[in-house]
Amino acid sequence: MEMIRKKRSDNSLIATYLAIGATVVGVMMIFGILMLLAQGGVLELQPAAFYQFLTIHGTGMIGAAALAGAAVMWYFLRNYVDLSKKIFGLNLLFSLIGIVMVIIGVFSFEYASSWTFLYPLPALSANAWGTIGALLYLVGMLVLGVGFLLMYIDVGRAIIKKYGSLGKGLGWDVISGKKAEADAPPATVVASTMVTIVNVTALTAGATVLIMNIINVINPSFTFDPLLAKNLTYAFGHIFANSIIYMGVIAVYEILPRYTNRPWKANRIFLIAWTMSTSFTLVIYTHHMLMDSVMPKWMLIMGQILSYANGLPVLVITAYGALMIVYKSGIKWDMASGLIFISMFGWTVGVVPAIVDATIVVNHVMHNTKWVPGHFHMYMGLGAVVMIFGFMYFLSKEDSSLKTNLFDRIALICYTLSIIGVSGGFLVSGALSTPRRWATHFPDWMGPAVFGAVSGVLAAISVTIFVIHFIRYMMVRNKGNEGKVFHERKLA
Amino acid sequence: MRPGILGILLYGILLLPPIIGLLEGQMILHMLVQLPLLIFSGWLCGAAILRRMPNYRAKWNGNGIPGILVIVFITTYWMLPRAMDESLVFWQVELFKFIGLPFAGLCLRDSWPKIKLVGKSFLFLNYLSMFALMAWLYIDAPVQICNNYAAQEQQLLGWGFLFITATMIIYLVQMVFTDQSEST
Repeated sequence: MEMIRKKRSDNSLIATYLAIGATVVGVMMIFGILMLLAQGGVLELQPAAFYQFLTIHGTGMIGAAALAGAAVMWYFLRNYVDLSKKIFGLNLLFSLIGIVMVIIGVFSFEYASSWTFLYPLPALSANAWGTIGALLYLVGMLVLGVGFLLMYIDVGRAIIKKYGSLGKGLGWDVISGKKAEADAPPATVVASTMVTIVNVTALTAGATVLIMNIINVINPSFTFDPLLAKNLTYAFGHIFANSIIYMGVIAVYEILPRYTNRPWKANRIFLIAWTMSTSFTLVIYTHHMLMDSVMPKWMLIMGQILSYANGLPVLVITAYGALMIVYKSGIKWDMASGLIFISMFGWTVGVVPAIVDATIVVNHVMHNTKWVPGHFHMYMGLGAVVMIFGFMYFLSKEDSSLKTNLFDRIALICYTLSIIGVSGGFLVSGALSTPRRWATHFPDWMGPAVFGAVSGVLAAISVTIFVIHFIRYMMVRNKGNEGKVFHERKLA
Repeated sequence: MRPGILGILLYGILLLPPIIGLLEGQMILHMLVQLPLLIFSGWLCGAAILRRMPNYRAKWNGNGIPGILVIVFITTYWMLPRAMDESLVFWQVELFKFIGLPFAGLCLRDSWPKIKLVGKSFLFLNYLSMFALMAWLYIDAPVQICNNYAAQEQQLLGWGFLFITATMIIYLVQMVFTDQSEST
């Protein structure tokens, strides 16, 4: 009984994470739609406002998805290792403080450097924004990072305590043959170990470059090497954003086996794939720098080759695993299982334009076009975020007796189609050589932007329906005995 | 020899004018030898001093966090190039250095065992990124940062910080990838 009460209390915090994450994603979609409408010539938006929207959209989407992804990881990982709820709560607090600082910096002080805060832009804005706006944004990001760093340290501590080391968390003793496959760590532990390793590295790099930017904003006579700053910025941003899908995929590993009554076994190939992705994720950020001709050539070649090798092992093993686990299993499709399965499609398809762009000769032509947002809107919008939505439906089903309705099912279809529409609009724009991050477009470029905006409206409505369902679940469980009765019924 | 006596001896040696002159004559020795040794002397003396004030410790530094904050503030201050410069010019700043840093060592002795593993790890990573930043700052700064030290010296200090950062990374990697089942 005590255990159930503790789990229910933990679930409240997890639900808060998810509600905030999903709501912010929905709100950020509105900024995305406004930007596309402005680019499409439908809406008159001052360029300064456009770049503020661009900044908040990018930062907010990644921050919110990371927050929700962390909730997915924490929910399942607590079944295997002893995590600290206090630190998990502290992460939420730090994140909220950071978000508020970023919002004030962007909207009250007109800070608009995009999420990349690429040195020396925060200090050299040509009077578009001042010192306070830049400091609020940069310190806000630092505060956000502190919360996440604390959480990953706790995850790492818990994994080391249970399994002995992070290497064992990745199953290296199974790979080396010292242990049998049957004793391999669960897929959730393997994925969490990977995310801990890459994100502690990313956040440490991020803290360094953020403080450097802060020093430069306060005293511009302190200058730094811009190339090193860019390397550190992308080492932070790319890894942190990439890790969201690796947290989200835990939902695939945990939810599909429950629906199919088939276990998701972490065999040797699975473990090798995750170790490969761990190492490659740390070094492939250089594919963001293929246009920087001053970068050492070997790093750029490494960026291309390892980008091919990075996503594929885990993606192939997970997509293949998902197909095999579902095949002839008699699975009962509902919102949770449906969304989780669609996320595998989104992840797989979303990787293709990324791999195309990671090819140096293509990158030189495509990287500054809307091809790149086409890739990450599909990868994140139809992959990572769908895993999170799927988990939200799973949680509401697991933790209450709340039923889904026709609206939810329509929203699932609409969301899938609309994100294909948004991403397709971007990809077509990219193929037309439409530059990205431009507030104004030539008339020839406007069509796909308007199409993307209309698709975005549909996506935002769908997300609203997902969020309403989740808030209904939170209200039902807060009303009193609903969740308790459900748990007792399940136990009986 | 008892740690307390060793600490007093070390502090006494660091106070000797020729030693002060020697260590403060080179930027890298000033930052990476004199300052850490002052902290270390406070840490060595810590056990004997702290034993005499159990109530004070329990009241003001029960969970170790106040002490850690003192350490963070003092050490961060001494990472500023200006602080080093001023300690060579103003006797008040020099006095603060010889009092503040051993006090930071004392706080370290009291606080470190009290804070949890997560706090320790966070501090470690915090200093890791700070040292990396200092390495970058001192190696890359296009201007002479301190009036009392040449640009070449500040670059040497930067490489010193980079060495420490690399050492910390190697330590961290071996810590998390070797079996810690017994120690956690």
